Amino acid sequence: MSSKDRVWEVFRQEAEGDPMIHGGSVKAPDEELATHYAREFYGRRQESERLWIVPREAITELDDPDLLKPPFDRSFKRPGGFLIKHKLEAARERAGSPQVEEVGE
Amino acid sequence: MSDLDRETRDALAELLLSMADDEFVLGFWDSEWTGIAPILEEDVAMSSVSQDEIGHAKALYELLAELTGDDADRIAFGRPPEGYRHAALMNHARTDWAFSIARRFLYEHADAVRLESLAGSSFQPLADLAVKMRREETYHILHFDLWLRRLAEGGDDSHARLAAAIERLWPDAQAVFAPLAGEACLVSARILPESLEALRARWLEVVGTRLAAAHLPVPREGARPEADGRTRRTDEFGWLHGEFTTVSGSEAGATW
Repeated sequence: MSSKDRVWEVFRQEAEGDPMIHGGSVKAPDEELATHYAREFYGRRQESERLWIVPREAITELDDPDLLKPPFDRSFKRPGGFLIKHKLEAARERAGSPQVEEVGE
Repeated sequence: MSDLDRETRDALAELLLSMADDEFVLGFWDSEWTGIAPILEEDVAMSSVSQDEIGHAKALYELLAELTGDDADRIAFGRPPEGYRHAALMNHARTDWAFSIARRFLYEHADAVRLESLAGSSFQPLADLAVKMRREETYHILHFDLWLRRLAEGGDDSHARLAAAIERLWPDAQAVFAPLAGEACLVSARILPESLEALRARWLEVVGTRLAAAHLPVPREGARPEADGRTRRTDEFGWLHGEFTTVSGSEAGATW
């Protein structure tokens, strides 16, 4: 393995319309070989609709816990914090619609 | 398939066998790189394209078996070394990486020219198979063109090894287009839309252009392929034959 080799992160899409999901990475000296190796590692069994091959240095990483996991209670930032079960039941009763699956908490 | 006369059918069988053996033997030679290719990623890539060739050989042997009422596995593994019809290009061991890349480069372009022509074959099952194979061979061409350029530009040692390998393989590469028994019959039935000599001229142009672009010496065109280009065998191939028939030879008719 040459020291000139770069790491390329590979994202794959399993079916048209699906999100691109990180598959893994390959080492290659340039974009052309990186593309070939991504194809071999993440596409040769016809398991991918599309690949994105990104040089690792092009990725901006954010992993600061002060930004991502601050110590205070953040539950009010989640939509699950709002209880709408009873409001929904009342609304359905008024509308006379049949009970469907439960929504919210 | 039954509407072919005997002479045409025999000639078609010869064509299918020659193509299948090219793919089969090359697939086995290059699978020898599994575990020892220059980089891990390339190890997977080389093994994968070698598997592709075995897959193409399987499809061709099956088409041949259907034509002649034989069995694809028996054709693939049940012949003595002298019964194989691959081009002399595939008589050589894998040698070093430059040698294997040189052979792949020469062969992939020969195969591409052959398949391009056969996509228009009047024998529909072969035309359909050629179209399918070409889609997979697109990647092979990209990959080995890339390696040819890399090694050509990779410094004096790799350039010299590559140039020497091209020079050494050049006469045997012509044998991919060695005349086939009954070729005239195949051409007049448009099963083979053009003569092998016409295909060879096109191949010479393609590889000549690409070698020159990579600043590699282009060998002199040389003589036409020799008549025994697909029948002469080497000890190196004899060894490989022993390897790939080990399993089939250990228990006749075994399945898994």
